[in-house]
Amino acid sequence: MKSFLPVLAALTVLAVLQLVLGSSEYFVYLASLVGVNVVLAVSLNVINGMTGQFSIGHAGFMAVGAYVAGTTSLLLKDDQLSFLPPAMSDQLFLLLALLLGGAAAGAFGFLVGLPSLRLRGDYLAIVTLGFGEIIRVVIQNSDGLSKSLAALPGLAPVGRFVGQFGGALGVSGVPQRSTFFMVWFWVFVLVLLARRLSDSSHGRWLKAIREDEVAAEAMGVDTTSYKVRAFVVSSFFAGIAGGLFAHFVPIINPGSFTFVKSMEVVVMIVAGGLGSTTGAIVAAVFLTLLPEGLRSLFLKLGGGDASLAQKVDQVRMPIYGMLLVVIMLTRSQGLFGTHEAWDLWARRKRAGAKA
Amino acid sequence: MSAPLLEARSVSIRFGGLKALSAFSLTISRGDLKGLIGPNGAGKTTAFNVLTGVYEPTEGEVLVGGERVNGKRPFQINRLGVARTFQNIRLFKQLTALDNVRIAVLPETRRWFDAARVQALKRGGAAQRALGAALDATDNYRDWWRAFLRTPGFLREEAQVTARAEELLSVMGLSHRKDELASSLPYGEQRRLEMARALGTRPKVLLLDEPAAGMNTREKADLMVLIRALRDRFDVGILVIEHDMKLVMGICEHLTVLDHGETIASGDPAVVRKDAKVIEAYLGEAPAHVA
Ligand SMILES: Nc1ncnc2c1ncn2[C@@H]1O[C@H](COP(=O)(O)OP(=O)(O)OP(=O)(O)O)[C@@H](O)[C@H]1O
Ligand SMILES: [Mg+2]
Repeated sequence: MKSFLPVLAALTVLAVLQLVLGSSEYFVYLASLVGVNVVLAVSLNVINGMTGQFSIGHAGFMAVGAYVAGTTSLLLKDDQLSFLPPAMSDQLFLLLALLLGGAAAGAFGFLVGLPSLRLRGDYLAIVTLGFGEIIRVVIQNSDGLSKSLAALPGLAPVGRFVGQFGGALGVSGVPQRSTFFMVWFWVFVLVLLARRLSDSSHGRWLKAIREDEVAAEAMGVDTTSYKVRAFVVSSFFAGIAGGLFAHFVPIINPGSFTFVKSMEVVVMIVAGGLGSTTGAIVAAVFLTLLPEGLRSLFLKLGGGDASLAQKVDQVRMPIYGMLLVVIMLTRSQGLFGTHEAWDLWARRKRAGAKA
Repeated sequence: MSAPLLEARSVSIRFGGLKALSAFSLTISRGDLKGLIGPNGAGKTTAFNVLTGVYEPTEGEVLVGGERVNGKRPFQINRLGVARTFQNIRLFKQLTALDNVRIAVLPETRRWFDAARVQALKRGGAAQRALGAALDATDNYRDWWRAFLRTPGFLREEAQVTARAEELLSVMGLSHRKDELASSLPYGEQRRLEMARALGTRPKVLLLDEPAAGMNTREKADLMVLIRALRDRFDVGILVIEHDMKLVMGICEHLTVLDHGETIASGDPAVVRKDAKVIEAYLGEAPAHVA
């Protein structure tokens, strides 16, 4: 099967990297962070890039995925599938948690997608922003919420589940099951899915909505249904990213899913070129590593004094902002425009064939 | 005699105080080639918008294949077999010519659940509606997963879509442009690409809104020949909006003339051109057209 070849190749490369670098904690942490951001950027690109809608609340979907997956794993921490080696059983439970987190985020994506049928541009942006903030605030106050839920007949288990969220303090003790291999395996799979979507009738219909909604509708595209589907798929991906994140950070709290996080993802896809999966990947890698690079640089400048390095987090957004302005001034379509690396490659091949 | 493919029965539409179209009636049957003419602002494009579901008629009704479609969405009316082009070209500019046509071509997906049954469910009570929606969603998302997994069936359908789109590009003489962005095509080719795209939806009725606008006399004449050829090749009924009366006279077998939303004449072109009201309407605007 030709379509499985890239999967096999990727698995091999990832396995080798895991063996060679898997013991370096710093590398694994950084690589996992990059991976999560790549998934977030690629997924937001489905809504903002391919479909041309404007969503700026992506951290909300990530939060839903992180909390649902993280809490699931926490509750099932001590369970084992006795017929499997422990490591494998752990990974199966991780898979279950991730899929639950993704599905929950997808369900929220459906709800948030509905207003996109009536709202356009700025108005839709405000709804998605509001959604992201609501999710964060609800989690922050989850203690009270869980008590109210537990009091309602039939909702006691939901209340117990929400009770694990820990309010502003967050959830700690989620088993650390997101290995480097696992994170990048998902990155690979989701990027592949995004690419396949983009290169199918479904992806073309999303792009038709972006290009001209009236014409798309006149050509038989059910624009409302497809806008909602873009939200569902995109938030499912974001939920997986959140789930992966929950399984390698020591603690998940509402502070990780603020508006700043949402904007970070928007900056990534705008800088990379709206509509380009390649651009989203490149920008996500670069913009995740940039603050880390700056941090080590400042650490050196400060002669080992960490206070200067801590400032990096504070100047991160202004730096992103400036970067965005520079990119917009010099290359307003972003690094890649709507193009993909594989398109360029295909074009070269075609040109070569003609010559 | 079966029902006409497309029929407007005394359709009126009002925008605030303005009656853009009043008591407009028209039928299109298989093999028809009819013209819709009239001076600027007469309501021609508005008539297209009502026929394709962009606007819902204020009065009267629109029927496709005998089925009333008032209030249906444009994509639904398109699926029933009515396709159109736009006066101010609306291509998917940043996509290639091939993709523009591929978007219009519906893959022949075999669904798990019978579409008619699901529709029937959706018209029932609350529980049935929910079931219908769930079945529909299942099928829809199954389709996405087929795309994600690139199943053999999916790849076969996609190949059929591409082949169909390439065939249409070649009919319209655009094969050499297939990998170019729609926006980079010269004006005349953009018009033809729009027609190829409309044909991609396998219409029974094709509505062309001023397809010759902005072309020189020679190009216009060629286009008219092409339109007639399309009618014969694809076995569709065609309704053309055109400003230039002389041009439309040459190919249309039936004309409807609009002025200020009113149908002032309708029938055989040779008769219509001698109609006093038509001459007056056109004299008011550009006498050269009637000469
Ligand atoms: N959405 C709308 N809202 C308000 N008025 C409208 C709308 N659409 C069209 N009109 C008005 O309806 C009238 C008919 O417009 P229409 O575009 O149908 O004319 P037309 O015959 O296609 O003219 P042209 O030859 O210039 O294309 C015009 O006065 C126009 O301003
Ligand atoms: Mg018009």
